[in-house]
Amino acid sequence: MKETDLNKQGKSSRRNFLKNIGTGVGAVSISGIGHAALIPESATKSGVKVKLLSPEGKLVEVDQDDIRPAGKNVKEMKTEARQGLPGHKFVMVIDLAKCKNARKCVEACQEGHMLPKDHEWIKLYLLQDDKSTAKYWFPRPCFHCDKPMCVSVCPVGATYKRDDGIVLVDNQRCIGCKFCMTGCPYSARVFNWKDPEVKLPPDHVYDPETNIPPVEGTVGKCVFCADNLRKNLLPRCVTACPMGVIYFGDMGEDTVTNGEETVRFSKMMLDRSGFRYREELGTLPSVYYLPPNQRMFPVESGLDGYDDDIKGRYIKTGPR
Amino acid sequence: MQADRKLLKDLTPELEKTSTGWYITFFILLAIFFTGIYGLIQQIDKGHIVTGMRDNVVWGFYIVNFIFFMGLSYSGALISGVLHLFNTGWRKPVIRLAELITVISLVIGPFFIFFCIGRLDRLYFLFIHPRIQSPITWDVIAILTDLFGCFIYLYLSFVEDFAILRDYDNLNVAPWKKRLYKILSLGYDGTPKQEKLLSGAKKIMASMIIAIAIIVYSVLAWIFGVTLQPGWHSTIFGPYFVIAAVFSGTGLLIILMWIFRKVYHLEEYITKRHFVNVGVLLTIIAAFYGYFTFSDYLTKWYGSIKMDSILIDKLFSEYYSLFIFANYIGILIPGIIIALPRFRTIPNITIASVIAVLALWVNRYIIVIPTLETPFLPIQDTRVDWINYSPTWIEWSLTFAGVSIFVMLFMLISKIVPIISISEMQEKDKEEILK
Amino acid sequence: MKFRISIFLTALFLISTISGQVLSQDQRIISPYFSLNYFKNSDDLQYLEAALTYSRNRMEIPLPAIVISFYSGSDSKMLGTAITNEKGIATFDISEINSLTQSNQGLFAFSAKFAGNDTVETVNADLLIRDVKLEMVLSEVDSVKTISLSALTSEINKAVPVSGETVIVYVTRMFSLLPVGEVTLDENGIGTLEFPSDLPGDADGNITIISKFEEHPDFGNVERRIVAKWGVPYVSSTPAAHRALWTKTPPWWMIITLSILLSGVWGHYLYAIICLIRIKRNSKRNEKLKNGFEEEKIARKL
Repeated sequence: MKETDLNKQGKSSRRNFLKNIGTGVGAVSISGIGHAALIPESATKSGVKVKLLSPEGKLVEVDQDDIRPAGKNVKEMKTEARQGLPGHKFVMVIDLAKCKNARKCVEACQEGHMLPKDHEWIKLYLLQDDKSTAKYWFPRPCFHCDKPMCVSVCPVGATYKRDDGIVLVDNQRCIGCKFCMTGCPYSARVFNWKDPEVKLPPDHVYDPETNIPPVEGTVGKCVFCADNLRKNLLPRCVTACPMGVIYFGDMGEDTVTNGEETVRFSKMMLDRSGFRYREELGTLPSVYYLPPNQRMFPVESGLDGYDDDIKGRYIKTGPR
Repeated sequence: MQADRKLLKDLTPELEKTSTGWYITFFILLAIFFTGIYGLIQQIDKGHIVTGMRDNVVWGFYIVNFIFFMGLSYSGALISGVLHLFNTGWRKPVIRLAELITVISLVIGPFFIFFCIGRLDRLYFLFIHPRIQSPITWDVIAILTDLFGCFIYLYLSFVEDFAILRDYDNLNVAPWKKRLYKILSLGYDGTPKQEKLLSGAKKIMASMIIAIAIIVYSVLAWIFGVTLQPGWHSTIFGPYFVIAAVFSGTGLLIILMWIFRKVYHLEEYITKRHFVNVGVLLTIIAAFYGYFTFSDYLTKWYGSIKMDSILIDKLFSEYYSLFIFANYIGILIPGIIIALPRFRTIPNITIASVIAVLALWVNRYIIVIPTLETPFLPIQDTRVDWINYSPTWIEWSLTFAGVSIFVMLFMLISKIVPIISISEMQEKDKEEILK
Repeated sequence: MKFRISIFLTALFLISTISGQVLSQDQRIISPYFSLNYFKNSDDLQYLEAALTYSRNRMEIPLPAIVISFYSGSDSKMLGTAITNEKGIATFDISEINSLTQSNQGLFAFSAKFAGNDTVETVNADLLIRDVKLEMVLSEVDSVKTISLSALTSEINKAVPVSGETVIVYVTRMFSLLPVGEVTLDENGIGTLEFPSDLPGDADGNITIISKFEEHPDFGNVERRIVAKWGVPYVSSTPAAHRALWTKTPPWWMIITLSILLSGVWGHYLYAIICLIRIKRNSKRNEKLKNGFEEEKIARKL
């Protein structure tokens, strides 16, 4: 179980009896909280009020979360997205020894980028190289290659590689020719074959770093949560993984972390024999893998608890 | 300009009147065309989900048709271009057909690309944000260049005929056609100076056409060749596609020769000799095509590279019948029919060409789709249409619409311009007189 | 009678289980996790942090916008309140408070409490903290970068060295802290650590070094941080005007080849078009010539 950072010293009261409560919730802030507790996934307000001067000269009190930094327009967002965070070189390490198809990474990614359920920017494969070798779960985000084939073949420059190593897609430039999808040898890109019908907040500004919303007729892919990186937060898949499989960091700092454990990247590579998938293709991916040795659980346990929609994917797994 | 009376009598009736059969055929084709348009509207409305393309096989019928139609444009390059430079006499009756095939297929081909593009409203980005490192940009430039060049070349071949028609008093056509001939003939009178200018321009354009045709088709091949996908990352794709294109273009030429000979009663001009000669060309090119195909698949099969072996296995299991048809039947049958004098009849040669053209369409299909169905990371999905590509009625209807608009454009042009070049035929007569 | 009672009990059991199913899990009153921690940062500013979360489907979910009250001393004197943020953490600054009472053994007592509401149970937590002074000195001994640490606690007007305790040394990284080493303090409360010489810093080689007691049972969380030029300067490797297949500017040979090909081909097209134009112009001249001859002929006849 993932360790929490709560101090176990504190006496926490955990009374375990069920109590029927009415669904009617009473007082204002508490009712807001109660409602929030009933729907824990939705965004909630901090309750911290800020006094502001309105344009008409009136003093108003606004909840802190309702304040957004005044208008970056689309052009500015796109320019920022192309510049990236210079001085960094982002890298991801995926520990195949710990992955057991919990699929929390897939869910967190889909939620964070408002993706339809059949779009998986990070996809889980069950691979077996040869009948004598072990099966292993293989999470595959976009590799953000240093020699990206997808970028080379894009005729309009809708997809680009930034100085910090991240490859993004500009949904407003993409013409949907799908050349990048045939160019990518790792099948990392998805196409919006129909209107994804996403409900956006009213003042949403398009930002290639989140690539929300997915646009019909354009391509989407993992963006290494570039918007999170600006706030020094880890990508969503990294924090969501209950096994701590995905490590993320800056190669320039020689450090990767999975939220719990922080290690030196070079040391991890040497000690755990890190490698890249199909190195011989020469695309120089930014995602490294740690080999699946000394697992503590059987691979088949990754199929437990899923419906046939997901289980059926892996029936024919075997050496090709 | 004056012309031989007999030529005029034989080749102009089509310009003057239209048979009922023509109208019936035209409207049937129009109906097929509009079915395709209806399908297109459905696709634009509901999105590309109505096609059979999904995340792995992202290129389906449309790209196959695009390559196919672009390939047909080679007949012009070969017959007009190469044979022009070699000054072969027998080709004269079929020159115009060949050039028309070139231009019409060059016009139709790019439309299939448009159908494949996800955001048609952003198509102009190709011109305002081009990246010259991308093979698609090379393709856009090459196709535009080829189209423009072929138009110029076609027009150059029309000038003399328009002059003849302009001066032919017994021509019983609508006044707008007469005006058209007058304007488009550019006041050509056959003076030595004009003749020199015209033949000089034609010679230059003939060599340009050959060069540009090779470049265009190689660029198209490199769209596949430069990617890393198994089956596409082949070094011979450039020349292989060029040969296949010449093969399909020549085959189509024979088919159209047969059709127009029959429908416009041109038995005197397009004779068995022409069929045999173009047929021999077809056989030679078939041999080359077979050689390239064999070479490509032999190297894939012999080596033990896993992804190549997976692809070969797929071709020999799922796509077995298509593979045999495209690469064995498509080469052997035309070869046998034309090589053996017993079989060398006009209908047989035409049947051989039909098989050849169909085989080439199938060849494009088994180049594009099986590779996309065998990516490096295996397709692990439960949805059938994501694992194997199966085209929907919209893709079929647009394919047939493409074929029908091809024939329709031919039919329309044959009403404005004689389908056999009168001026070329006259030159031929002049040569014989001089001998 | 027995039969009727058993039917009644069965019915009751069924009803309660069914109603337990029907009323979703959400509507049970939540018994949360509650913890209280003490922090002292590098500027000697102290604050208390209370975290209120609950668990559902094995996921930790925060409870924001909840009022937590903080108290100090064994007599639980109220210090003030703070509201939990979106992560369920309420921070209360105690640096300015002079009235913190120390117990006989030199310990400070703190506690925090949430009074409970309709959906969340009442919780409280308490803490006993001993104040510690942690010092860190950076020096280079024989060109070996060394960190020297010392820790002292104050016990009834006397500074007592902290012995046998572990201090962890980190450097700040973009997303987290990278542990560099652990130091166990000797009986004088002193310890040293060799700092690695190959850790990348920022572009100038600056690196932030933190030494801290982390979640210590007596001391809470105490840290000391220093920024030093002990990192290897990191310069990003991509040259600015890089020309490749995947960059904005294409390689030179592509531009040159394309220009040559295009100008060659379109140049020939231009030639052909010029020929056509000359053909047209030629014909007008022919007409004029013809007309000219006609006029001459007519003139001669006259």
